[in-house]
Amino acid sequence: MDDHLTEETPDIGGSGYTLEDLSEYLDRGRTPAIAAIDDNAECQSVLASLERVGALSRDLVAQDAALNPAIDESWLASVFSSITREAKAGRDIPLSSPDPRTRLSITEGAVRELVRAAGDAIDGVFVGRCDLDGDPTETGSGIRVGISISVVLGSAVHDVAETVRQRVYSELLTHTELTIEAVDVTVTDVHVIANGSAPE
Amino acid sequence: MAGLDAASDALLAERSADGDTVAFGILVRRHGPYLRAFATRLTGSAADADDAVQEALIAAWNQLSTLEDPAKVRTWMTSIVSRKSTDRLRRRKPSSELDDQRPDTHERGPEARAIATSQLDALAGVLSALPEGQRQCWVLKEVGGYSYEEIADELDLTPAIVRGRLARARATVISEMEVWR
Repeated sequence: MDDHLTEETPDIGGSGYTLEDLSEYLDRGRTPAIAAIDDNAECQSVLASLERVGALSRDLVAQDAALNPAIDESWLASVFSSITREAKAGRDIPLSSPDPRTRLSITEGAVRELVRAAGDAIDGVFVGRCDLDGDPTETGSGIRVGISISVVLGSAVHDVAETVRQRVYSELLTHTELTIEAVDVTVTDVHVIANGSAPE
Repeated sequence: MAGLDAASDALLAERSADGDTVAFGILVRRHGPYLRAFATRLTGSAADADDAVQEALIAAWNQLSTLEDPAKVRTWMTSIVSRKSTDRLRRRKPSSELDDQRPDTHERGPEARAIATSQLDALAGVLSALPEGQRQCWVLKEVGGYSYEEIADELDLTPAIVRGRLARARATVISEMEVWR
């Protein structure tokens, strides 16, 4: 039966629809439904074949990946030599200096790193996003810090979030001169392996 | 930072957007093999794939703040890999010449199909025996999930040419894979 299943085939199973029509019907999620296709056994068989080879194509790439899981370290190093934190350093946040001739500052990126480290230090917590809302470049201007966290499955979410909030707040007070109005912690994710005790 | 590799794609993408190279490294290790596999099937060359994925990852790092749904970071990276791969394909040779050009391979023919031990091996054989232009369109549509118009854009072809290539690829793949039902 393969012989007549070619691009030249005008229509399949006398349905009036070609292989290309069927493929497009599949792409549209078989809506709106076309009875001439849905009630035609040969069309149904061709649709099943199209679905199957599509799924197999995706499986093939997944299998290729599974068979070649190793990442070449020199290849990776060359990616990392081309990416820089500087690209995401953000605004410069002034720090007071004992010497009036010296201007000190810390970047927004470094503050975010500090926040991440503070949150990650809590057992079962990973910090995600960290936003500094306000104008940190202006000394004394109030800043709201918004962070999202992922907590390990089974945590007491409220307690964990509160611990993170306090920890981040006190780290920011210790290591920056920002005027922190609030630290808002949102739990956006849950993960399954505790980070605190994990080896590595 | 022990255990960050247990974090979700979304969280790692958010951290990466904030400048965390460690998080980005975990994403690259997690999805690099898939991205390379996709680019290899698309370009037909492991060397081109490696270069395209490398360029794509660097571009991804710089554009992370534009990623709207961080949970879909793999899909987003895959689209950048497609673009970098098709850039290479366009530079390699004029796409119009690829229509009927078949790769130099002796894996083709019934013998190759007969020794294929699985459906996936068989499909790998069928795809690599397709003319290059057809294979590219097939991979972009079926694996990349692109529409005819998007493929036409990526490969700098008319939608009519993409339509024709996909029609021929589809007829070949369906009929060659019929024995594996």
